[in-house]
Amino acid sequence: MTDAIAVRGLVKTFGRTRALDGLDLHVRTGEVHGFLGPNGAGKSTTIRVLLGLLRADAGEARLLGGDPWGDAVALHRRVAHVPADVTLWPQLTGGETIDLLGRLRGGVDPRRRDALVERFELDPRVRARAYSTGNRKKVALVAALAADVDLLLLDEPTSGLDPLMGAVFQEVVREAAADGRTVLLSSHVLAEVEALADRVTIIRRGRAVSTGTLEDLRGLTRTTVVAGVADVAGARRALTALEGVHHLAADDAHVTLAVDAPALGAVLAALAAHGVRSVVAHPPTLEDVFLRQYGDELAGLGVGDR
Amino acid sequence: MTTAAVRPGPAPGRGVTTPHGPLAGTGRLLRLALRTDRWTTAVWAVAVAGLTHASVVALAELYRAPEQQAARAELIAAPAATALAGPGHGLDDYTLGAMTANELGLWVMVPVAIMGVLAVSRHLRAPEEDGRLEILRSQPVGRAAPVVAGLLAAATGVLVVGAVLLAALLTTDLDPGGSVLLVASVVAVALVLASATAVVAQLTTHARTSDALGMALLGLAFLLRAVGDVRGPRSTSVWTWASPFGWSQATAPYTLDRWWPLLASVAAVVVDVLVAAVLVRRRDLGTGLLPERPGPARGRVAGLVGLAWRSRRTAVLSWGTGVVVTGALIGVLAAAVVDFVDGDADLAAILGEPDDAVAAVLALYVVVLAVAAAAYVATAVGAARADETSGRAAGLLVLPVPRVRWLGAHVGLAAVAATAMMLLAGLLMGAGAAVTLHDAGQVGRLAGAAAVTVPGVLVVLGVATALLGLLPRATGAVWAYVAYVGTVGLFGELLPDGADALSPFTHLPALPAAPMDWPPVLAVTAVAVLLVAAGLAGVRRRDVDG
Repeated sequence: MTDAIAVRGLVKTFGRTRALDGLDLHVRTGEVHGFLGPNGAGKSTTIRVLLGLLRADAGEARLLGGDPWGDAVALHRRVAHVPADVTLWPQLTGGETIDLLGRLRGGVDPRRRDALVERFELDPRVRARAYSTGNRKKVALVAALAADVDLLLLDEPTSGLDPLMGAVFQEVVREAAADGRTVLLSSHVLAEVEALADRVTIIRRGRAVSTGTLEDLRGLTRTTVVAGVADVAGARRALTALEGVHHLAADDAHVTLAVDAPALGAVLAALAAHGVRSVVAHPPTLEDVFLRQYGDELAGLGVGDR
Repeated sequence: MTTAAVRPGPAPGRGVTTPHGPLAGTGRLLRLALRTDRWTTAVWAVAVAGLTHASVVALAELYRAPEQQAARAELIAAPAATALAGPGHGLDDYTLGAMTANELGLWVMVPVAIMGVLAVSRHLRAPEEDGRLEILRSQPVGRAAPVVAGLLAAATGVLVVGAVLLAALLTTDLDPGGSVLLVASVVAVALVLASATAVVAQLTTHARTSDALGMALLGLAFLLRAVGDVRGPRSTSVWTWASPFGWSQATAPYTLDRWWPLLASVAAVVVDVLVAAVLVRRRDLGTGLLPERPGPARGRVAGLVGLAWRSRRTAVLSWGTGVVVTGALIGVLAAAVVDFVDGDADLAAILGEPDDAVAAVLALYVVVLAVAAAAYVATAVGAARADETSGRAAGLLVLPVPRVRWLGAHVGLAAVAATAMMLLAGLLMGAGAAVTLHDAGQVGRLAGAAAVTVPGVLVVLGVATALLGLLPRATGAVWAYVAYVGTVGLFGELLPDGADALSPFTHLPALPAAPMDWPPVLAVTAVAVLLVAAGLAGVRRRDVDG
C-alpha cells in the first residue's frame, strides 16, 4: 500500500526564516499519524504545503499519490482540513457555514452532519461573529468530519475545546480510522496523540527529529523505576556499575532510578539479586519522548533533564 | 507564524505607580495606538497636504487676472458646481483664498473626516471584536481608558494631518491667518464625525458595521450641506447648518475669517463624547446595544458567488444607493444650470449654448459618479484580500475550489455591481434631467454617458486585482490610484499637462459633451480585461497568505 502522505526533503522559506528545512514525513494509508513539535516548528506550514496553499521551495511532497500544488483541486475532493485558527464569515450562522462548505465540496450526507452537530453540542443558529473560539472550532470540525474523504489533516483540532468535547473528538477520530480513513493529527495535547496515533513524527525547526511507533520512540527514552529492596546499599553499588542507569537515588528501603531501555534487563537482574520486594516502573509517556527531543532547549529554559 | 524580525521591545518603565480609576492606563494605551497608527497617519498627512498644496499652486497659476477669477466664480456659482464645492463665500471678489476655501476646502475635509471615522472604528471596535481589548482590560486598565485612548488616538491622527496641511499651506501665497482657520475647520468637521462614529460604534459589536455607520453619517452630512448650499448661498440655509460640513464651511476662511461657526463643532464633539461615554458604561464587553438574533440553522448560501454576495451585500447596497441617489439629484439640478447660463450673457459666451453647458457639467458629474463606483470596487478587492489574510479564503481553497473561482467571484460581483450602479445612476440622472429640462432624449443620453465610464471603473478593478494577484501586500495601494483618478476627474483642468494620462477617464469620450468614440472605449476595456487576467493568473501562482 502506498503512503497517503510522502514528503521528502521539503524546504519552505519565508524571507530569511527557514520554516521547513528538509522535512521528511511519511504517513501510511489508513493510520492515525501524530505530528508533534513546538510552536513555530513548521507543522502548520507542512500542512499548508500539503493543501497546496503554499508552494514548496525544494523537496518532494505527494498527497494521496498526487502533487499537492498542481493537482490541488482534484485532491481536495479526497481531503478535509481543520485549521489551527478558525476564521469564519461573521454574518453566516454555523449551520449556514457547514452547509456552504459541504456544498462547495459537492454535497455532504445530511444525517452525518446532523449527528456531528449533535455530538459536538453545537448551536448552528448562532452567527459566526458571536461564536467563542471553541465553537468556531466545532464548526470546522463538523464541516471536515462530515465530509466523505480519504484523508483528514487536523491542525490542533482540539485547541479551544473543553475536555468533554475532546473526548467526543477522540471517539469520532477512532470511528474515522475504523472506516479506513487516514488522519494526520497535529496536536499539543500529547495524551490525545498517545491515545489515537499509530505512529508519530516529531519535528523541530523544520526537520523531522524522530519518527516511528510509540513503542519505537519509547525505546529511545528512559523508564523510571522505583524498587523496594532489602539490601539498599548492595543494590545501589550494583546499579551504579551498570551502563544506562541515571539519576540513581536511595532512601532507607527504596532505590529510584531512570534506565535506558536496553539496560532494563540488567537492572531487573540487579534488583532481584538484592532482595527486591516491590517494583513500580513508569514507561516513558509521549510527553517524556517529546521533551527528550527538546532536552537542550529545556535546559536553556532552566527546566531540568528528564 | 511571524516572519517579521523580532526586535527587543522597550524595557518596562521605572517608577510605575499602581494605576486606578476609570482612566487608569489611558496613557499607555494611547502610546500603543499611536504607534500602530504612525504609518497610516503619515501616508494620509502627506497625501492630503501634497494634493492640497499642488492644487493651490495650480489655482494660483491658472487664475491670476481678475477677469479669469470672476469667470471662475460664475462657473462655480452654478448649482451643480455648488453641490460639489461650497457655500460660495467671496464669489464677488474671487481671490485665490476664496477659491481655495470654496472649492478645495470640501475636498480636504472629506478625506480627513474619512480618516477620523475609520480611526475611531479601528480603535474602538476592532480590538474588542477580535479579543485584543479583553487582554488589555485584564491589565490594570480602567473601564473608560480604551475608549478615551481610542478617541485621543483618532484625534491625534487628525491633528497631525492638520499640522502637516497647515505647514504646506503656509508655503503658498495664501494669507496665514486664513490658512489657520481653514485647517481648524478641516480638523473640526473630522473631529465631529469621528466622535459621532464613537457613539454609533456602541450600537454594534462589529468594526465593519461601525465603519459603515460612520461613513453613512459622513454621507448624510455631505448631502445636507450640498442641498443647503444650493438652496441658500453663503451659508444661509437651515440645511447647511444641520451639517458639520456646513459649520466648517461657514467659517469662510480668507474672506470673512470668522471663528464662531466652529463653536457648533466643539459643542457637537463634547455632546458626542459624553453620549459615547454613557453608552460604554451601559454595555458589556464584546456586545453592542443592538442584540444578536439567532439565524437559520440550515444554509441556503449557494456557492462562491452567493457567499460573496452575502458578505458584501451591505457594502454593495450602500455604495449603490449613494451613487444612484447622487446621480438622480444631479439630474434634477440640470435645469438650474440651464437657468443660470441663460441668465448670464458673459457666461453663455464662455460656455457656448446652454445645452452645451449642461452637457459639459453633466459629463463632469458622470465621471464623479464613476470615481465613486471605482472606490466601491477598490473596497470589493480589499474585502477579498481581507478574506485571504484572515484565513477565510484558505478555508475555501482547501475544498475542491480553484483559486480563480474564489477571486473571480469577488471580482465578478464587483464588476456586475459597479456596472449596475452606474447604469442605474445614469438612467435616474437622465430621468431627472428629462423631467426638469422637458427633454426625453436626456434619459438615453445620460444612461449612455454613464455606461461609457464603466470600462474606466473596470480598469480600477483591474489595477486592484492585479495588485492582489501579483503584489498582495500592496493591495491597499489601489486607494492611491483611486485618489489619483478622483483628483484628475475633479481638478484635471488644474493639473499640469500629461499628469492625467494614467487615468482611464482621460481617454474615454466625455459623453454627453463629446461624441461617442468607440476605439478608446474598446482599448480601455481591453486594458481592464488584461489587468484582471494578470491578477487572476498571479493568484494561481503565489502562496496563499493567512
